[in-house]
Amino acid sequence: MLKVSNIKASYGKVDVLWDVSMIIGEGEIVALVGANASGKTTMLKTISGLIHPGAGTLEFLGKRIDEISPYRIATMGISHIPEGGKPFPDMTVLENLEMGAYINEAWKRKEETLHRVYQFFPILKKRSGQLARTLSGGERQMLAMGRGLMAKPRLFMFDEPSYGLAPIIVKELFESIRLLHDQGMTILIVEQNIRHALEVSSRGYVLENGRIVLEGESRGLLDNDHVRKAYLGL
Amino acid sequence: MGGTLLLDIIIGGLILGGLYALIAVGLGLQYGVARVLNVSHGEFIMLGAFATYSLYTSFGINPLVSLVISGPIVFGLGFLIHRTLFQHLRKSSESMAAFEGTSILASFGLLFIIQNIALLSWGSDIKGYTYLAGTVDFGGAIYAQNRLLAFLFAIIIGLAFYFFLARTRFGKAIRAAAQDVDTAQLMGVNIHRMLGLCFGLGALMAALAGCLISMMFEITPLMGLPYSIIAIIAVVLGGLGNILGSLLGGLILGLVGNIVMYIHPGLSLIAYYMIFLLLILVRPTGILGK
Repeated sequence: MLKVSNIKASYGKVDVLWDVSMIIGEGEIVALVGANASGKTTMLKTISGLIHPGAGTLEFLGKRIDEISPYRIATMGISHIPEGGKPFPDMTVLENLEMGAYINEAWKRKEETLHRVYQFFPILKKRSGQLARTLSGGERQMLAMGRGLMAKPRLFMFDEPSYGLAPIIVKELFESIRLLHDQGMTILIVEQNIRHALEVSSRGYVLENGRIVLEGESRGLLDNDHVRKAYLGL
Repeated sequence: MGGTLLLDIIIGGLILGGLYALIAVGLGLQYGVARVLNVSHGEFIMLGAFATYSLYTSFGINPLVSLVISGPIVFGLGFLIHRTLFQHLRKSSESMAAFEGTSILASFGLLFIIQNIALLSWGSDIKGYTYLAGTVDFGGAIYAQNRLLAFLFAIIIGLAFYFFLARTRFGKAIRAAAQDVDTAQLMGVNIHRMLGLCFGLGALMAALAGCLISMMFEITPLMGLPYSIIAIIAVVLGGLGNILGSLLGGLILGLVGNIVMYIHPGLSLIAYYMIFLLLILVRPTGILGK
């Protein structure tokens, strides 16, 4: 579904990614893990078009997306949930969800999708009239997921869903992600919380200083000596 | 007598405030959403005023009707300026802060270009015309019809614009982009087109205000800058990126300005600066800012 080939990317004058290649198949759940500042967020921003790569190609559903604008990539079916969820703080929960359905195809069916999102996250229905800035961290993340679902995406990308949240809420969120995957959604999850990410995913890539250093079955990565030593403290 | 004077000051303040609110909302769209601190905002007010003046005095076109002609032209001009100038500056700037800096300089350039073209075409004489200059008596306070019309117009436009922002799909996208440009793009918002439309809409608001101003006051090609400054203060007063705040900021400035004018006509611009200074020191995020 998504093919990342030899991507090089920089932020201003600082190179952040070197020669990164990844593949995500239809219906897969893939984790991209690594420490803080290893380039994970840059990778997601490059896929969603917020950053254009210096070299390499991106293919989504067989079409090149490395030179096109973010709104067109969103329209093609990629939903990128930024770090911290980034709901629009001065809009209500409902307005945030409506913004999720901004693209034409989704806008036509937004009432029906909204109903499904409320079923998935009942708390959002309860909070629908509240400004997003008044929500707790976990609720913001749920709102961001709900907003992403409103677009009816083909590929869902999460940037650090666990960031800054209490362990029990992280567990709930990962449960929701697993549920989405069970319903057939293709998911790319970027995480510092390596154990959670590798437990929920089927395959994983380990990013260090902008380079992929390891890749393979998630279970295998959890048993890998380097991963255990460097990331799991074992 | 004291009661009438108070009413007089308040109604006069609301009339001025309505006008300022219109001007501030226009700049709010350009600064709050498109991040262009458009110093030439006042020049679009001047263009609106002169368009109305010329169409009225040369062709006898009713000032309100002339908006149908001048409105779309100024809107298109604003959109085009964003497309050709600010969009490229934005793309080539390393950061948003750098863009804000270069865009101020670029808009200063616009100011001089538009002003000088206006001076060449209309000359530097003060101009004016009379339209609906009859008066209306409000419990002892007397107002020119054109001022009440301007106030009514400002309220209608303000309400329509509020409704547009609160309820429509595109209005919500504007608010979303004002809060977080990147995330708005992830929702599928075509940001460059939207910022261009916002800039055009801001210019349109300025032209509207200019039309109303030309009914009440005398106009010259050099009239723009004080209005730009008032708009900037109103936008900061309301809270950057908060378009409702711009509206409120404009109303407050109008009220304060009118009160001060009763004490001494020359003090109003000083009063605005005082408010601005106080604001920067005490609450730099504005009344409705976070």
